[in-house]
Amino acid sequence: MSTYAQTADQEQGPPHVHHMDPVTAYHAAKFGMWLFLATEVLLFGGLFAAFAVYRWYYLSEFHHASHHLNWQLGAVNTLVLLFSSFTAALAVDAAQHGDNARVRKNLLFTICCGCIFLVIKYFEWSAKYHHGLFPGTAEFNGAEFNQAYKSFFGLYYCMTGLHAFHVIAGMGLLFWVFRKAQRNRFSADYYTPVEVGALYWHLVDLIWIYLFPLLYLVG
Amino acid sequence: MFRFLPEPASEFAPNIDWINNLITDLSVFFTVAIVGAMIYFAIRYRRRDGVDHATPRILGSHTLEAIWTVVPTLVCIFIAYWGIAYYRDMRTVPADAITIDVRGQKWKWDFEYSNGKKTTSELVVPVNKPIKLVISSRDVLHSFFLPSMRVKKDAVPGQYTYLWFRPIKEGVFQAFCTEYCGKDHSAMLAKLHVVSEAEFGRWLNDRSEEALMAKLGPAERGKALFQQKGCNACHSLDGSRLVGPSLMKLVGRTEKLSDGSEQVVDENYIKESILDPNKKVVATFPPNVMPAFAGQLSDEDVDGLIAFIRAQDGSAVAAAPKAEAAVNAANMTPAQKGEHIYRDAAYACFGCHSVDGSKVVGPTFKGVYGRQEKLTDGSSVTVDDAYIKNSILNPGAQIVEGFANMMPPFQGRLNDDDIKNIIEYLKTVK
Amino acid sequence: MSSQCTAGTCNSCHDDDHNYLKYPKGFWSWVTTVDHKRIGLLYLFTILIFFFVAGVFALLVRTELMHAGRDIMDAETYNMFFTLHGAIMIFLFIVPGIPATMGNFLLPLMIGAKDVAFPRLNLMSYYIYVLGAIMALVALIRPIGPEGLQKFLAGLGLIGPVDTGWTFYAPYSLQSGSSVIWMTGAAFVLGFSSILTGLNFVVTVHKLRAPGMSWDRLPVFVWATYATAIIQTLATPVVGITLLLLIMERAMGVGIFNPQLGGDPVLFEHFFWFYSHPVVYIMVLPAFGVVGEIIPVFSRKPIFGYRAVCYASLAIAFIGFLVWAHHMFVAGISDTSAIYFSAATFFVAVPTAVKVFNWVSTMYKGSIRFESPMLYAMGFVFLFMVAGTTGIYLATLAVDVFYHDTYFVVAHFHYTIQGGAVIGLMAALHFWFPKMSDKMYNETLARFAWVLDFVGFNLTFLPQFVLGMEGMPRRYYDYLPQFEPLHQISTVGSYVNAIGYTAALMNLLFAALFSKRKAPSNPYNSLSLEWQTQSPPLHENFKETPVVTDWTYGYGEPVEGGSH
Repeated sequence: MSTYAQTADQEQGPPHVHHMDPVTAYHAAKFGMWLFLATEVLLFGGLFAAFAVYRWYYLSEFHHASHHLNWQLGAVNTLVLLFSSFTAALAVDAAQHGDNARVRKNLLFTICCGCIFLVIKYFEWSAKYHHGLFPGTAEFNGAEFNQAYKSFFGLYYCMTGLHAFHVIAGMGLLFWVFRKAQRNRFSADYYTPVEVGALYWHLVDLIWIYLFPLLYLVG
Repeated sequence: MFRFLPEPASEFAPNIDWINNLITDLSVFFTVAIVGAMIYFAIRYRRRDGVDHATPRILGSHTLEAIWTVVPTLVCIFIAYWGIAYYRDMRTVPADAITIDVRGQKWKWDFEYSNGKKTTSELVVPVNKPIKLVISSRDVLHSFFLPSMRVKKDAVPGQYTYLWFRPIKEGVFQAFCTEYCGKDHSAMLAKLHVVSEAEFGRWLNDRSEEALMAKLGPAERGKALFQQKGCNACHSLDGSRLVGPSLMKLVGRTEKLSDGSEQVVDENYIKESILDPNKKVVATFPPNVMPAFAGQLSDEDVDGLIAFIRAQDGSAVAAAPKAEAAVNAANMTPAQKGEHIYRDAAYACFGCHSVDGSKVVGPTFKGVYGRQEKLTDGSSVTVDDAYIKNSILNPGAQIVEGFANMMPPFQGRLNDDDIKNIIEYLKTVK
Repeated sequence: MSSQCTAGTCNSCHDDDHNYLKYPKGFWSWVTTVDHKRIGLLYLFTILIFFFVAGVFALLVRTELMHAGRDIMDAETYNMFFTLHGAIMIFLFIVPGIPATMGNFLLPLMIGAKDVAFPRLNLMSYYIYVLGAIMALVALIRPIGPEGLQKFLAGLGLIGPVDTGWTFYAPYSLQSGSSVIWMTGAAFVLGFSSILTGLNFVVTVHKLRAPGMSWDRLPVFVWATYATAIIQTLATPVVGITLLLLIMERAMGVGIFNPQLGGDPVLFEHFFWFYSHPVVYIMVLPAFGVVGEIIPVFSRKPIFGYRAVCYASLAIAFIGFLVWAHHMFVAGISDTSAIYFSAATFFVAVPTAVKVFNWVSTMYKGSIRFESPMLYAMGFVFLFMVAGTTGIYLATLAVDVFYHDTYFVVAHFHYTIQGGAVIGLMAALHFWFPKMSDKMYNETLARFAWVLDFVGFNLTFLPQFVLGMEGMPRRYYDYLPQFEPLHQISTVGSYVNAIGYTAALMNLLFAALFSKRKAPSNPYNSLSLEWQTQSPPLHENFKETPVVTDWTYGYGEPVEGGSH
């Protein structure tokens, strides 16, 4: 990685921004993204901590409540995201070889997987909603509805909702990378956005890999 | 130096004061030493004549670094140890402790004893006995703080917390709410009365009031409550308009509410209006005046009040038990007579004016005599005989800022002697 | 004295046309700037506006407390004002405080970089801050006017200024009839801005140090800012998710913190303090750094025990993450955890004490001058001694039971944050003002303002320690008559303090705009890199990337055994 072509900065802002040599820029970007991923882990960490606490308070209720979730759909979604991570990794490999066409193809796969994930998620959510398993519905707020269920589904919607938001953000990021690939911007010397975007996508995937067993299987 | 804690009144308070005062002395010592060194250096090594003099390039000293790492560490460990040791004492309740339930609610403290005796804002405990308070909350976070006992614990909704102390002095002590809980957080006060064991026993077993209630039928119980809680101060039984709607022929009436909707008054509405009065306020009446009675009245109490209200067809105008006030009047001091009037259900002053400093509908009587009050017209007034008299006879003339004009005039209902007695009584409310 | 900058054409020729204030030109170039120095100034002006607003709220609160009973407002208004004072001061002024203003301006200069690692991200974090600030201002709206408009605003969650206290404790914050969603939303957005700033700084310090600027040559301000940035990056997400959950709970009725829905209000406190304890180090660590820069320069001495000072910053940042529940000793946490958190808290005291000893020792055998930055730095040492020692009371478990939620805590907090962070910011502004503007302010007026600040501040908050010891609870609209005299002293003190700050800041503003007195590029003969370039610095900071050959604190004559 000795040389980083000047193309790296061609479409970047005013001359002032050229304050790092490309090697430093590459490492800084990667380091920055890792730090950002750390903050994301901590963001979800709060939710995981809350889940752990309430699961400890209401062990059997959480167990029962988790049976309301459709683990088959969750499993399908896990596979979808795993596959999307794989294609994201392939996109990085393609970028490192300067093959912009392959970058585009793999990114498109990844983004489509993101869409499939969201569609499945939508069906899951709406099914729950129709069963009255949603905060604010009359049944859910009713007195006979178990308190612990409220905690479980409250956390379920917060965790999967925040994750879904991250899927959308990740898709947006990858689409931005995709547009760059359309202009054949990547080469063996410059592929930082692909790598950084893929890193983010792996995190999105990773969080789901923790969410799925926690919510659907263990309860 | 710097000894400001209130006089210790519980068994472990002197220990806590000891460690507190030790910290104070160490703090003063270190602050004076370090800041003194700084000032000494500043003067001794000041630059003279605007020119820098040569300075040595001293980079540090491992010895000094070690000393000022180790010494503060040791001091900290020492203090931390005693802080923790005394804390354990504060959390270890003796087996023979008297347990009292404390419930916080916006914005008052309720106490319930093991024999079922209930009080509000007044906690009575025997001296030299361990007292355990089991604390809970009916709404938001509160915190029960007894400075003289050096104890404090949050009241957390959905959880029971506790504290204990062994009072070593008789007397009256202040309790505060220390966890912010909304509008009248600063008025959520209570008094702790530490009394002799004998007196506590008498007080605890004096259930005459409650026993009387138990014998009554629902409507009679309702009537008693109606007067006891001071409802009659604001709600007439003869159709006349006071602060709140009259209760005459209330059930079945259709009321227009402040949000424009209409409400047929039934038992459910009455119950809701007692427990949560500001939810549906009748049009033309001011909101946020009536205190919420949720938690203060049992279901039976509410049933009794409903039965009483149902019976109000206008024929039974609330009997003004004037004769009662005269009972034993001959033996009473003017202040006692005044207190009698204050507590007399016929006037129900207590419905709106507290004597413990808490803010109800009207200004508290605690420390009222001689107090400076700001009035709504911007002027201020010292509460003296003339002002009190005028405020009783013609309350609308001078309203204290922050309060509304809603007290009925007592012109013709109280004579000059009564008013003098009231003034004497108010002088004693401190 | 050794020069540390060998490739140093940096200081030689003055290029006034390309200083950062003049180049590039135009309003648009300012609002779209990616220059860290300009972004620092944008932050500075914005946060000072909020300092003013929240300061006025503080004065209103103090005025109401002049007498027992009602003075100028009712209880509900009072509750709003103390909440807004706290929330605005914390989230809009003091958290961005020194890092976003002085940190932005100085960090790249001090390490010999042209800019921070991600200049556009830096600008973005400023605008995220502005967005958060707008949300916070919107949350101040009290809906009035026609019913339709009020209903519309209520639909947006705008139902009146927040009255929950800046801590937003559940379940009160879930029930409060005020724009809690907007204020917590603002805090969330501001937190995001803080994360991005912190992330930027961490990467900058790691990746952009000039050749020769090794870790053990970094100025202590950089160390402090670096430690701060780590906290910003790692603690803020947790409060982010907490506030998000609170918003979800208010908006959707999700049951996380509301006991009526099976939630646990104590969990909110845990989450909240997991961030909000480290956040006090976000506020105060950079001020440590400022003082660590000023004292050596004004004493002509190297900072005493450089490594100890730097590592103490990191130690404070690290231990700061492990002590959060000391805010909750009486909140219904288990006794075991209370004991742990008390013990852990004492370990923050040690590195803090080490820093104080080092600052004072730096003055030993110095050649000390007393311009206003040094006065602020020395004032800081005293105020921080008081803050630190009163912290010991609060860390001591049995004693904190008494002091928790009394005025003692209020006073301790203000000694730490106002006496620490705000005085630190004032010191920094006075110290680096000639660098930022190339002008000199009126020194006499600056010293006079310092006296007012110092006297006013102590007059305001020393009585509050006594009030706390006497048992006066905090957040009280009304109080028992015996507390009145001390409250009056405190209120008068707050006026003096306000005049002091106004005088100091007006002095600087006036000098920046109108002063004709040019400052030399290095008026205090500092050795650190930011003073080696011209004032105001060039757009790109240095003509040539400096090469660093010595550490930053080579003051004084070498003595035997005095090698670094």
